[in-house]
Amino acid sequence: MRDAAAFEALYDGFHRLVYGVALRILNETGAAEDVTQSVFLKLWSSPGLFQGGNFAAWIVRVTRNRSLDIVRSKAFNTDSELPEGLTESQGLEEIALAHLEASRVRAALAQLPEDQRKPIEMGFFEGVTHEEMARRTGVPLGTIKTRIRSGLHKLRMVLDGAVTA
Amino acid sequence: MMNSHDPFLDDVAVYALGALPPAEEGRVRAHLRGCAECRAEYALLNPAVTAVAYDAEACKTGENGPQVSSLLKARIMREVRASASSTTRAAESARTADPARARRPIVWPAYLVAAACFAFALISTTSNILLMGELRQTQTQLATTQDRVDATARRLANEHVMLADLMSTDAKRYATNDGEIVAHGDRLYIAMHDMPMPPRGKVYQAWTMPKGGKAVVPSVTFMPDRQGVAMVALPENASAVTMVAVSVEPDGGSKAPTSKPIAVVPLN
Repeated sequence: MRDAAAFEALYDGFHRLVYGVALRILNETGAAEDVTQSVFLKLWSSPGLFQGGNFAAWIVRVTRNRSLDIVRSKAFNTDSELPEGLTESQGLEEIALAHLEASRVRAALAQLPEDQRKPIEMGFFEGVTHEEMARRTGVPLGTIKTRIRSGLHKLRMVLDGAVTA
Repeated sequence: MMNSHDPFLDDVAVYALGALPPAEEGRVRAHLRGCAECRAEYALLNPAVTAVAYDAEACKTGENGPQVSSLLKARIMREVRASASSTTRAAESARTADPARARRPIVWPAYLVAAACFAFALISTTSNILLMGELRQTQTQLATTQDRVDATARRLANEHVMLADLMSTDAKRYATNDGEIVAHGDRLYIAMHDMPMPPRGKVYQAWTMPKGGKAVVPSVTFMPDRQGVAMVALPENASAVTMVAVSVEPDGGSKAPTSKPIAVVPLN
C-alpha cells in the first residue's frame, strides 16, 4: 500500500524546494502552489515515475519542466504530463549537496562571475536555450556553452568546499 | 589545454542545465551512453544544477520571501488521504473478487519511502493540528446538514401522509365555509381555501371540543398561504374530538377564544 505518512514526510522535506523553484520560474504564488500541488499529487498517484537515485534532483527537474511548460504555453491551467521516469545519478557528494543549507547555495552562486551566473540562471529558471542566450546577448554560442560549464564547475567546487567545511 | 573532446563536455554541461534544444538533447543523451568521460562530467555537474534550485528556495521561501501556505499542505494531504482510503477499499474488494490479485499488492517503491526518511525530522505537527481542526469543522457541518436532511424528510413524510388522508375516499369530511374538516382514522385536518390573511399581529387558531368536555381547548395556530389555502394537521386524536372551531387570535395564540369564530364544525 502507498504510505500517506511517508508521503507527508516527503512533502515536509521537499515542498519548499519545489515551491521555490516554481515560484522563481512562474513569479506568481497561485501558479506556484498549483505546480507544487500537481507535482506532489502526481508523485503520489504515480510513484513509479521516480526510478531511484537522487530524489531532490529528480523532483527539481520535474518541477522545472512543469513550470516551464506553463510559462511556454502562457496558460496557467495547463495539465501537461510529468516526464517519464528520469534516473538521477546518486553519489555521496550529491546526497550531501542535496542537503546543503539553501543560504549556502545562494552565497555560492553569488560568488560566480556575472557572465557565468547569468546564463546558468537564464537556462535553469527561464528555460532559455543556449542558442537563444547567444541571440539575446550577442555572445558567440561556443562562449555561452563554455561559460555555463565553467560556472557549473566553479559552483561545484565552492559547494564541495562548503560540504567539507 | 583544450582537447578535441571539450566541445562535447561543454554540451554535456548545457545538457545538465537543461538548456539544450530538444533535438540536441537527444544527440547528447546518445553520446552519454557510449562515453564514460562525458558521463563522469555529467555526474560531476548535475549536483551543481540541483544546487541552483536550492538558490530558488533560499530566495523565494526565505525570511524575506513569501511563505508556502499551510493550506496547500492541507489541500494535498486531504486528496492523498482520500485516495489512500479509496485505494484500501478497492484493494479489499479486489481481494475478495480475485485472490490471485491479492498476492500482488500495489506498493510504494522502497526507495521513495527511504527518501521520505530524509525528511522525517522535519515533520511538523502544525499541519496535523490544522487538518484535525478542519476535520472537526467538517464533521460539525455534516451533522448540521444531516439534521436538516432528517427534518426535511420528516416534513415530507408528514405532508405525504396528510395528502393521502385528504384525498382518501374513506375519509370523513365535514364541510364549512370555504373548506372542510377531514378525519381519517385517528388523524384530523383543517383544509381551507380563500382564507383572507388575518390582520397584522393576528393568526388563525384552531379549537377542539374533547368528548365529554364543556369548553373548547386551544389547538394549533396557522396562517394561510398567498393563495388563501391552509392545510393543517391537528395534533388531537380525531376519535376524541366532537367539534372543531377556528378564530382569529393574537400572534402566539390564546388560551381561550378572544373573537367570534369564523368556523364551528361539529364532528358527528
